[in-house]
Amino acid sequence: MEKDGFFNTPQPWNSLFGMELESQVNEMNCSPEQLPNCFLSRNWDHSMDQSDPFESALSSIVSSPVNSHSGVPIPASENVVLKELIGRLGSICNSGEISNSTNTSCYNTPMNSPPKLNLSIMDHQIPVPIPGSLPIPRNHQLPPAPFPADPGFVERAARFSSFGMNESEFPHMVESGKVSRRVSNKQCFKTTELSIPIPGSDKKFSRELDNSMEESSLSEQIPIGETGNGYKGQNSNSNGRKRKAIPKGKGKETQFSTVSAIDNKTIGELEKEESDAKRSKSGEEGNGMEKEKEKEKIKEEWNRNQNQKQTKEAAKLPEPPKDYIHVRARRGQATDSHSLAERVRREKISERMKFLQDLVPGCNKVTGKAIMLDEIINYVQSLQRQVEFLSMKLATINPRTDMNMEALLSKDTRASMLNTMNHLDAPAQPFYGLVHARPENPLTSMMHHGSNMKSSQTHGFGEASAFWENDLQSVVQMGFQNQGPIFHGIMGTGQMKVEL
Amino acid sequence: MSPPQQPSSTNPNSLKIRLTHRFLHNLNNLNKKRSNLDNTQIHQRYNRVKLAAYASMAHVVGSRRAWSRAILWKIRNRKVSTRHKRVDHKPTNHHHARSIKRRTTNHSNPKREYVDPNGNSGQEVKLRKLVPGVETMDACGLLDETADYIKCLATQVEVMRNLVDLFSTI
Repeated sequence: MEKDGFFNTPQPWNSLFGMELESQVNEMNCSPEQLPNCFLSRNWDHSMDQSDPFESALSSIVSSPVNSHSGVPIPASENVVLKELIGRLGSICNSGEISNSTNTSCYNTPMNSPPKLNLSIMDHQIPVPIPGSLPIPRNHQLPPAPFPADPGFVERAARFSSFGMNESEFPHMVESGKVSRRVSNKQCFKTTELSIPIPGSDKKFSRELDNSMEESSLSEQIPIGETGNGYKGQNSNSNGRKRKAIPKGKGKETQFSTVSAIDNKTIGELEKEESDAKRSKSGEEGNGMEKEKEKEKIKEEWNRNQNQKQTKEAAKLPEPPKDYIHVRARRGQATDSHSLAERVRREKISERMKFLQDLVPGCNKVTGKAIMLDEIINYVQSLQRQVEFLSMKLATINPRTDMNMEALLSKDTRASMLNTMNHLDAPAQPFYGLVHARPENPLTSMMHHGSNMKSSQTHGFGEASAFWENDLQSVVQMGFQNQGPIFHGIMGTGQMKVEL
Repeated sequence: MSPPQQPSSTNPNSLKIRLTHRFLHNLNNLNKKRSNLDNTQIHQRYNRVKLAAYASMAHVVGSRRAWSRAILWKIRNRKVSTRHKRVDHKPTNHHHARSIKRRTTNHSNPKREYVDPNGNSGQEVKLRKLVPGVETMDACGLLDETADYIKCLATQVEVMRNLVDLFSTI
């Protein structure tokens, strides 16, 4: 019988944890309603101080019901037990100081498989019965566990139990195509919105979870959830309710960078992989969206925990299939879609303003959008004026250097010319020397003079001279000799204007 | 030789080098068209050089950016209009990108806190007039285009300054 099969699995646990487990197993045999409380009252944390053996035991425990119930929906009681297991697993992980080896992601997702994930938690997995078809990568490969009844349960349990985690745990659980992420942080992050697909009856306490991330809350919720519809086919209800995202056609993933500075890459990769996995797996589009949203939230929390920030940031998770941007409202802020969208927009604008600050010189100390805009406008105007002035200068100079233009554009000297010009703004090497005896002397001496005169501009004329030896120098010298005095005059007048 | 430090976000050398190439090319073309050697037509030359500068900037960036597309479009229209009208190159005829904006600036934006019907502040309006092609973009896109425009403008100024220095010291 399925129940027996399930209850047989705790045997390894018993072997590991002795009496505690036995009693727990007995409790498991009790009515399902009692189980959560029994489980939660246990100090599994202590018993979880084992590393890999425990992990393997857990995996066996978890996998066995999965195996036994492949393709068969598990009755509610077993679901409850499993949920408890998951909750306990989460709490165990939350206790946190277990070696990283044990802090495995109970909920395997394809995300975990990519080797680029740096999270130590990802290296280990505590397989969890995953409803729906989800291949579990990594060490413990579980067949997709048919848990259609609790699409929200495992996810919820994982999330709630993991809220107390301190470490950068990132267990991911996919159920019915959903992914729930565990935040390994002891500190509870309270968010004003949750996108956990919970059956209708769970609505209230799912929000209450925000306030109490401890196991007690979990215990409250699980029985409440159980008494619900049994987690079967609840996705539709939860989907309709969950989403506080703003359905907007913004498919940008730029917000990921703003969410967390730390582990940005891994998280970004995780996100994308998760989203890919979810898209490929989710048979229910609504679940997929919420999954991503929840993932995003958990990721946010994880990031914040990593940074030890207590502030919540809005995270937008672009979902290509639905082109939504999921934003999480911050605590204490309005949660309606308009304000969220407004905040998203403001953050985008501020991000771009920061980039502009880098572009515009001298704006590091400027704070404030208005002042910054003024500076930007001034800078653009000054640049355009500079272009005008320089083009005027070139217009006056150009007719005298038509020959130079031809020569400059010649292929032989083009590259060198460009290199010369590109290097001209390097700090000038002061050439106060005299005319050398080399052929390019007149030119170099002129350039030296030019560099001296143009104190505001530093150019590596010395470097330029080297390039002029080849073909240009004859032409240049010709032009130079003819128009030397004129150039001097022009340069003299130009000098006043150059210093803008 | 110290490597040049460029403000551009793309490969700096490539942007500057491309700008230089293009600008020289345009200048040469302009010079070939008409050889105005006397001072009376310096203004015409100035306009053409300025046009060449903006054209080279826009060509290098291509159609990726709204401002470059706007500049290219205006240049194309200008060429078409001048070809049809066969008007002499007078200062008032040059439909430079910026000049078009300047004409409208004076009328509609007096010096006060001007708020657009859209709720834009006067600053945004000014910015929209400075940067070509951002009239209808939202604030986000406006800032994006402005950043790219600033980057290209700065590089163009640098190239022109180097050219001037190079030519002036000949």
